[in-house]
Amino acid sequence: MPGGGRCPDCGSTELVEDSHYSQSQLVCSDCGCVVTEGVLTTTFSDEGNLREVTYSRSTGENEQVSRSEQRGLRRVRDLCRVLQLPPTFEDTAVAYYQQAYRHSGIRAARLQKKEVLVGCCVLITCRQRNWPLTMGTICTLLYADLDVFSGTYMQLVKLLGLDVPSLCLAELVKTYCSSFKLFQASPSVPAKYVEDKEKMLSRTLQLVELADETWLVTGRHPLPVITAATFLAWQSLQPSYRLSCSLARFCKYANVDLPHPASCRLQELLAVLLQMAKQLAWLQVLKLDKRSVVKHIGDLLQHRHTLVRSAFRDGTAEMETQEKELQGRGQGEEVGDSSLGLPQGKQPASPALLLPPCMLKPPKRICHTSTVSTVTGDENISDSEIEQYLRTPQEVRDFQRAQAAGQAGTSVPNPP
Amino acid sequence: MDQNNSLPPYAQGLASPQGAMTPGIPIFSPMMPYGTGLTPQPIQNTSSLSILEEQQRQQQQQQQQQQQQQQQQQQQQQQAAQQSTSQQAAQVASGQAPQIFHSQTLTTAPLPGTTPLYPSPVTPMTPITPATPASESSGIVPQLQNIVSTVNLGCKLDLKTIALRARNAEYNPKRFAAVIMRIREPRTTALIFSSGKMVCTGAKSEEQSRLAARKYARVVQKLGFPAKFLDFKIQNMVGSCDVKFPIRLEGLVLTHQQFSSYEPELFPGLIYRMIKPRIVLLIFVSGKVVLTGAKVRAEIYEAFENIYPILKGFRKTT
Repeated sequence: MPGGGRCPDCGSTELVEDSHYSQSQLVCSDCGCVVTEGVLTTTFSDEGNLREVTYSRSTGENEQVSRSEQRGLRRVRDLCRVLQLPPTFEDTAVAYYQQAYRHSGIRAARLQKKEVLVGCCVLITCRQRNWPLTMGTICTLLYADLDVFSGTYMQLVKLLGLDVPSLCLAELVKTYCSSFKLFQASPSVPAKYVEDKEKMLSRTLQLVELADETWLVTGRHPLPVITAATFLAWQSLQPSYRLSCSLARFCKYANVDLPHPASCRLQELLAVLLQMAKQLAWLQVLKLDKRSVVKHIGDLLQHRHTLVRSAFRDGTAEMETQEKELQGRGQGEEVGDSSLGLPQGKQPASPALLLPPCMLKPPKRICHTSTVSTVTGDENISDSEIEQYLRTPQEVRDFQRAQAAGQAGTSVPNPP
Repeated sequence: MDQNNSLPPYAQGLASPQGAMTPGIPIFSPMMPYGTGLTPQPIQNTSSLSILEEQQRQQQQQQQQQQQQQQQQQQQQQQAAQQSTSQQAAQVASGQAPQIFHSQTLTTAPLPGTTPLYPSPVTPMTPITPATPASESSGIVPQLQNIVSTVNLGCKLDLKTIALRARNAEYNPKRFAAVIMRIREPRTTALIFSSGKMVCTGAKSEEQSRLAARKYARVVQKLGFPAKFLDFKIQNMVGSCDVKFPIRLEGLVLTHQQFSSYEPELFPGLIYRMIKPRIVLLIFVSGKVVLTGAKVRAEIYEAFENIYPILKGFRKTT
């Protein structure tokens, strides 16, 4: 290097500017002695010229997977394993989580929401593959609130623009029924309560189909209906021993939580069965009630399509009532049983309306049609009308006095 | 056509009248029964005019200009008047069946309800279908249940003073940073903020909402603030009605998956997000429908007329 620099060791003038990584150094090319070196660290005054960039505005986010996303992806895999889902589900759920994480709204969300997001991704994956997973199950596993879960779920579906199919009822019945611990003899379950799985499954499926046809499933949470149907199926398979068992006790033996609306659904389902029973001649004479009809569920289910058509008329049109009655009678004769080969005196009960229970109940309050008001919006507003909303000075003084007294009494500073 | 490009592929083949994206029925048809005397405001949907209709309008305008140049002043007026009515008629009709409107000449056939001012001998074109909707009008009018409006009082307010000197006010700054004031007639609630902005809710019609907002402004005025009444705007309107038959929500979500969200585990109703007009409908199994998100009354009526044929399709169970 020109300029009169000499190496202190060998005295040569051949000094080279060479940097050792980020540290600039002046090195003698003859003996290798480091003559001077630059500063490795910056001083405070130097740093004053530097500008800090927040992580979110740097490219660091795109270059690496953030720790919270890694945690979330791990949680997704864990949840899939806990639920014993097929391996392909895991990859799809992970992909959804990653896709969701690209949106800034999700990246900046609270940890609670990110936790719930894990469940949402798994739920969407299961729904798309017809795997019956309920939101209640996921919320229990994640210790999450259903409200928080529902908000995040709706947001995610909208954000990703996904088509999520409805919960598959048949699959849910199979999975849920299999979880009832009544298929093997055990010390806690009396011998007569043990039941064959296949028989119970098929009968429960038929009962759930019947409930769906008669408007008991639309708009309602599916699980209580399935619980009620399982209970009825189980009871009807050996009614003599099982009629004495209540729904609550049944769920306890089966080691399954009893959802609260299940008893309501049970009553509704029994009402439908009773209505169907009225169409069968040999059951009409027995004058069944909600307990005794259970014994005949097998027969009723065997002819359920015919019976539903004849027992119920379309709730919408009165014109079709007579048509359906005629159809029902015709169908009955085709089936061949003596359901409608009746003596002259007895007729099948008049069809009830096939409507959702909410339409059958009397309306809670009279919906009065609003009177046509002739308000223009520009009327004069009288002073007296406004005065009624203002406090008199005396009232103001009284109110202030009362407030002060209240504050003194509680002796808690009450910022107004 | 512009609008068909934005329809999802499956919806284009549907026989149901124009799905949920086009107005199947002209909103200003005289057959539409409206409750109060408020005339519906026409929807500004110039974007929905097809290219064909645009061409038609331009050609008609060109013809109009040509004829004006050729003829005298009186004849020009006649022609202009007659062209405008037929143009109007043509526009309304082409909303129904644009594919029929090939010819460039004007029409003589008057639509029911619109009488031409001057009868004129003009060459007839291919007959336009009369303006009856593809499906019958439902005959059900949604009732408005709630109107939310905002207004700017135009001055800073001292909420403590208002809460102290008004009888109908409540103010709890730890819970919410606004005074909640209520009046009895019309029965409404207002949120009054210290910036001078106010939200008025609970009215059953636009006029009532405006009257109520004015009353609140008058109360604030009497309390000593220089309150004005600026930028009154209706922000949201909620309506409800009953179609009187049960609806298979599972079926509806299957066929209208793009617009519907039905999660019985979360909410008993089906949430239908209609694109045109931009209204959200809550449809319940009992047949009750709640419509919300409208800025004008006509949007609610139009949305209901759009959904009614869809719901009728799910009326029969088997």
